[in-house]
Amino acid sequence: MRAVHYVNQFFAGLGGEDKAETPPTRLEGPVGPGRGLTAELGDVEIVATLACGDDYFAEHEEDALAALLGYLDDDHPDVLVAGPAFGSGRYGYACGTLAAAAAERGIPAVAAMHPENPGVDAAGKAYVVPTAVNVAGMRDALPRLGRLASALAAGRELGGPDEEGYLPRGLRRNYFAEQTGAERAIELLLGKLAGETRTEVGGGLDRVEPPAPVPDLSETLVALVTEAGCVPQGNPDRLPSVRAQGWFRYDLNGEETLAAARYESVHGGFDVTLANEDPNRLVPLDTARELEREGRIGRLHDAFYTTTGNGTPVVTATRFGREIAGELREAGVGAVLLSGT
Amino acid sequence: MLAKEIERVGIPTVYVTSLPTVATMIGANRIVRGPAITHPFGLDTEERRRIVERALDLLETEVEPNTVWEIAP
Amino acid sequence: MAWELASFSADLPEEIEVEGAEVEIVRPGEPVRVTHVLDAVEPRIRPDGRPAFPTGGKAGEGRTNRLDGVIVLSCLDFPGEERPLHEQESIVDLGGPGAEYAPFSQETCIVVSFHAPEGARNEELEAKARKETLSLAEQLAAVTLEGEPVTVETFELGDVDGDLPRVAALIQLSDLGPLYYQYVYGQPAGQAGLPRPIDPAELLDGAVTCGEYHWAAMRNPTLFFQRNELVRALHREHGTRLDFRGVVLMRGYEQSADDKQRAAEGAAARAEELGAGGVIITTDAGGNSHTDVMLTCRACERAGIRTTVILAEETDPESTRPILTDWVPEADAIVSTGNVEELLEAWAPGRVLGGDTLLDGTSAAAAGAIPVRNYLGAANQMGQLALGARSG
Repeated sequence: MRAVHYVNQFFAGLGGEDKAETPPTRLEGPVGPGRGLTAELGDVEIVATLACGDDYFAEHEEDALAALLGYLDDDHPDVLVAGPAFGSGRYGYACGTLAAAAAERGIPAVAAMHPENPGVDAAGKAYVVPTAVNVAGMRDALPRLGRLASALAAGRELGGPDEEGYLPRGLRRNYFAEQTGAERAIELLLGKLAGETRTEVGGGLDRVEPPAPVPDLSETLVALVTEAGCVPQGNPDRLPSVRAQGWFRYDLNGEETLAAARYESVHGGFDVTLANEDPNRLVPLDTARELEREGRIGRLHDAFYTTTGNGTPVVTATRFGREIAGELREAGVGAVLLSGT
Repeated sequence: MLAKEIERVGIPTVYVTSLPTVATMIGANRIVRGPAITHPFGLDTEERRRIVERALDLLETEVEPNTVWEIAP
Repeated sequence: MAWELASFSADLPEEIEVEGAEVEIVRPGEPVRVTHVLDAVEPRIRPDGRPAFPTGGKAGEGRTNRLDGVIVLSCLDFPGEERPLHEQESIVDLGGPGAEYAPFSQETCIVVSFHAPEGARNEELEAKARKETLSLAEQLAAVTLEGEPVTVETFELGDVDGDLPRVAALIQLSDLGPLYYQYVYGQPAGQAGLPRPIDPAELLDGAVTCGEYHWAAMRNPTLFFQRNELVRALHREHGTRLDFRGVVLMRGYEQSADDKQRAAEGAAARAEELGAGGVIITTDAGGNSHTDVMLTCRACERAGIRTTVILAEETDPESTRPILTDWVPEADAIVSTGNVEELLEAWAPGRVLGGDTLLDGTSAAAAGAIPVRNYLGAANQMGQLALGARSG
């Protein structure tokens, strides 16, 4: 049986961050961690390794997928294995997205990464084996990944997540429990009253508790973020107006206002005429500066973040959010004013 | 989604939008309802100031999940 | 005040006649599919002569007899040009993969298929069908008035240890207008002064009957009140793991946002008056009745009463996220009684009763894969059955 293994530029041995723009490429047989993985795959042989730069995938997702799926079509493997990506967000996203696309085309696929990696959501119905957050977890991850990959290649019907060692995908399947729903409700309630809250199904998307209020804005670094697609005039980085694949950070350089001559909105989901007349209507820089001068705000972060919240798939928006959040936290930002539409 | 991810790292975030039900559904916690999709911060500087001040007040307020404030208290 | 439920085993008459209907006796194991099912009712009668399905007075006292192992299934294919709002197919499979999804297949079913003459009005036909069905259920139980019961269960809530958690059940009944009523002592839920407490034994003793005909899998036929697993389980645990404080009936489909909020707070207040520290909230049918449940959950939690909710999911089986009709963050302990969108394997029954053609025009004998959604009570949201859903 045949497997194809997907890795990023680093694990393929092509280079580090400097090679993150490498377009998809195909290498013969197993490479890097693929060699360790081979030992765990039993009858399954890694016939090829596909590699792609993390930044290339992030910035040219459609093209990258097309190329990679093309290679997969040529190699027609019994299973696609991607990663392990551990905690690396861009790598994890690429693994998850590719695995999901392969699964859609009927190629069983399994990726491996840390459970909090945004790539988990991207994997859809493909399987994800949980790993540690960094490469120190490689020795632990490979046998588990290999075992699941072999099972998929062999076409064996899989049991539940706990049994087989993959993260729950969220696919719901009916079953007959030992107890009636009524009895289970009593168990859940008594458990909750005793301090242990459990649920058989979660509602909504995952929830985040509201952070505690800002103790004193006059002592706080405040940042402006927008989903309204506000960009420098001419959209130099080509932020798409719909299904945004990226977000951008623009330095304010002490500017007091978003002048119409210098900024515009490229959001494709609403009429941007009013916003273009005065971009402060979307990102209230002029007001924020005024309040900074008056001391209501301690300091305004000297850059703003922008994307277009229009048709962006949940998983992508989540990834943007995590990346922006990471930068904001690094910069010591204590509060954010986010403009939607 | 941005609001939730930024809040997830502990930074209080106020989301100004004219679509508070969507904001609630996707999990934002501090929401100010802006007047319109095309101009959530209003048209003129006076209105903008009122909305931003309201938003700042909300940042300094303890809230239940998915709290929506109108511009006028 | 104790209530006794005496179970009897007895033979059925050879022939059963119901005015305006065909009656078939189906024994367990027969591969029959029943379509257009309105309700399922257990034969009951009171030795003291009071009605088994009272419209006044108080049920849940004295003794009631039940005939074991027999269920009446009523069927009607509504003829009226204006079909009931949201009418959905309602099927009971007594064989094949569907048999596992309801208790009906284990017992003898008396299938009563009401005629639906052209030009007859839906509401009139329904009223007659419901009356005849409840009447038949009582008649069938008359044989229990001679003879000895096999078992007698006593339902009585005595005093218990003050340390035990105090639990009440908040049970939702629907009222979405004609043909979507559940009845409390014969009154539609919206006219029965809900939310209000009742004795658990009243619920088990015919005070609540069903007259709603949408959301087959998610609705609660009369049988599920007569045999209510939640009330029975709470009774069982009373005195050992909990202090069962009682039942509050509440209405689903309150019509305005204000009414919904008021009713939710009212239900929480009734629960508080019962002394409950925790409640189990049940759901009926689908759509905005789920909003009533969620608002009630929130109102209880805000009043310091912890909650568990029972409801069914409507998740696309290919989706990686469960889909609930409505949800609030306070609903953090939910029992899922299954995903109604999941398909059961196709089954070719040996015989079809109720009607040969399903509402969507397909032949009942060769309908292909049917979603759980269309099986009567299969995903009922009072926790009557063992069906659940899990993530894989």
